[in-house]
Amino acid sequence: MILELKNIDKSFGDKHVLKGISFAVEGGKAFGLLGRNGAGKTTTIRVLMNVFPANSGEVLLDGEPIDYNKIGIGYLPEERGLYSKKTILDQLVYFAELKGMTRKDAVQAVDYWLNRLGMNECRNKRLDTLSKGNQQKIQLITALTHNPHIVILDEPFSGLDPVNAMLLQEVVKEQIAQGKIVLFSSHQMGYIEEFCDSIAIINAGKVVLHGDLHEIKRNYVRDRLVVNTTHPEQIKADFGDACTQTDNGSLIIKLPDASEKQSTMRKLVENYDIDEVKVFEPSLNDIFVEYAGEQV
Amino acid sequence: MKQFGKIFNFELKGYLKNKVFVGITIFLVIAIAVATFIPNIVALFKSDENKYRPAMLIYSENADLAALVGQYFEAAFTDYEIKISDGSIDDIKEQIVSGEAECAFVLSSASSYTYYVNNLSMYDANVEIANTVLQEVYRVNAMIQNGLTPEQAGEIMAVQIESSTTTLGKDQIQNFFYTYIMIFALYMVILLYGQMVSSNVATEKSSRAMELLITSAKPTNMMFGKVMASCVAGLMQLVAVFGSAVVFYNINKASLSENAIMNAIFNIPVGLLFYMLVFFVLGFLIYAFIYGAVGSTVSKLEDVNTATMPITYLFIIAFMVVVFSMTSGNVDNIAMKICSYIPFISPMAMFTRIAMSTVAWYEIVISIGVLIGSVVGVGILAARIYRVGVLMYGTRPKLGMIIKNVFKKQ
Repeated sequence: MILELKNIDKSFGDKHVLKGISFAVEGGKAFGLLGRNGAGKTTTIRVLMNVFPANSGEVLLDGEPIDYNKIGIGYLPEERGLYSKKTILDQLVYFAELKGMTRKDAVQAVDYWLNRLGMNECRNKRLDTLSKGNQQKIQLITALTHNPHIVILDEPFSGLDPVNAMLLQEVVKEQIAQGKIVLFSSHQMGYIEEFCDSIAIINAGKVVLHGDLHEIKRNYVRDRLVVNTTHPEQIKADFGDACTQTDNGSLIIKLPDASEKQSTMRKLVENYDIDEVKVFEPSLNDIFVEYAGEQV
Repeated sequence: MKQFGKIFNFELKGYLKNKVFVGITIFLVIAIAVATFIPNIVALFKSDENKYRPAMLIYSENADLAALVGQYFEAAFTDYEIKISDGSIDDIKEQIVSGEAECAFVLSSASSYTYYVNNLSMYDANVEIANTVLQEVYRVNAMIQNGLTPEQAGEIMAVQIESSTTTLGKDQIQNFFYTYIMIFALYMVILLYGQMVSSNVATEKSSRAMELLITSAKPTNMMFGKVMASCVAGLMQLVAVFGSAVVFYNINKASLSENAIMNAIFNIPVGLLFYMLVFFVLGFLIYAFIYGAVGSTVSKLEDVNTATMPITYLFIIAFMVVVFSMTSGNVDNIAMKICSYIPFISPMAMFTRIAMSTVAWYEIVISIGVLIGSVVGVGILAARIYRVGVLMYGTRPKLGMIIKNVFKKQ
């Protein structure tokens, strides 16, 4: 399964929100949709879910326009909220039925997920009696009960304690292993790096970076060195403005050109008391700040 | 359609499990039970009181007059024990003050008397009754003195005028009460449930359950499911309240049969109940759709009341026009005729005219036709406003902006 968004354009009144958004997501792999607040992520997701149509562009599944009657989509919205005064079972079954399940299947699926997430005892409780983390888990169940083909998780880890976060990670990995299309939207770059094979960074309604995450990192200009030393003063004095010190004490040396990498490393090892020297690997956070921080 | 059914069921169940909804229904049923059982309950206490009748004294220096008046008073004041007094006026006063007797008529002639009573009750009608009786006594005496036999005089006094009224159209005295009750029920139910639909939508939006709903169900299904469920819940409440009223009335029919208002209320023609149902459903729907749409434009539950105020005012004006026309006795005035075809007012105006006057069948058909068309139109419009409104957070959008978005080709 390949989900493709092609040249999606969307305006609200005079506000041009999406300006030709295009990316592709492959089944069995997780995809990270990144962007700053207001970049257009939620609007992209809503167009993808057919909450409102795009002004132009297409949403394709395996090359064909997506048939929303046949393709199930599970959605965990960033703004969480369910019926606080209703019982867990009632509302979970209701949402599953809205997605086209029969009552019997819905009850069965809800019971499976309550059990899977260790929430069995909450089955007949009202939502507002649960802790925030448990409410979050209930919300996740609404996205998964109907066994959707596409799972969209908007900030899935926010508000979860480490144990629940690990449980969620397991569930997400299961979904990916089942060949589903899993689309993440998050500001927590650590999770995106852990799960996502490919990403798209949206900035001001445009995709500014899109592709395989490893590829992106590999192709990142390798013109910086990380140096760990017990005597940083001499290096800092010799390299001047090109050398900066990070919070953990490492030195980052920016080279005038990537081709000087080998010679500079040799020079460092020969002339200074060095514990470690390596080429700087950018984190997703660095890439995000570089791409999403611009043009705002 | 399947999705509509699911939403309808979920929403209806929500109403039936709502403690306020159930509480109000039970309270109304109990209130009606109390109102209909009251005459029986009062009678229960009265039967004990019957054993004791307070004394009413009659005194005249003319013993024959006292005896004759006493005879007539026995028949007129059945709640009193009539006693002919032979003591002095001071004795009589003493008896009244001590409570031995409740009141006394001291006759100075056949046409003049003094009424003695300790505390004059607000509802004391003894003087009026005595006047009528004494006038009768005086006339009978006068006739006898002029040569008629007591039987002839009695016949003249007892003459009965026979009359009957044949109403060719509607009897407004009869139908005023039930029309008023029905109009008032319509008014209350629409306001109550309209607000409920509005708050329901606003709650879903403010709790952000809407984020999930809007991606799970079509806005048209959401809107129609919610409104139809509230309509059925309202109908169920009306049936429970009016149904129990009919049952209680029939249980207590014997003791309530003297109550003209009660009889007028419960003698509703079946045909009118049909019109009531039609206008209730259509009137309810048209307002509930608007209330639902308005609910979708607010972000916070607190804003619902302010947002729905214009519709509430419109509805109150409609109610006022109808009620003023009803009380003026002319339900076919020009304002009512025009209102019978204006969708938001016609459910009350046309229903009142049907109930209290004679309306041509084609007028009813046109009114209902216009109303059905408007309900469908307003329903579709409301679903579109809902679709636009539920995704707008922050400051409440201006009317112009909503209309622009609703009619914009998406």
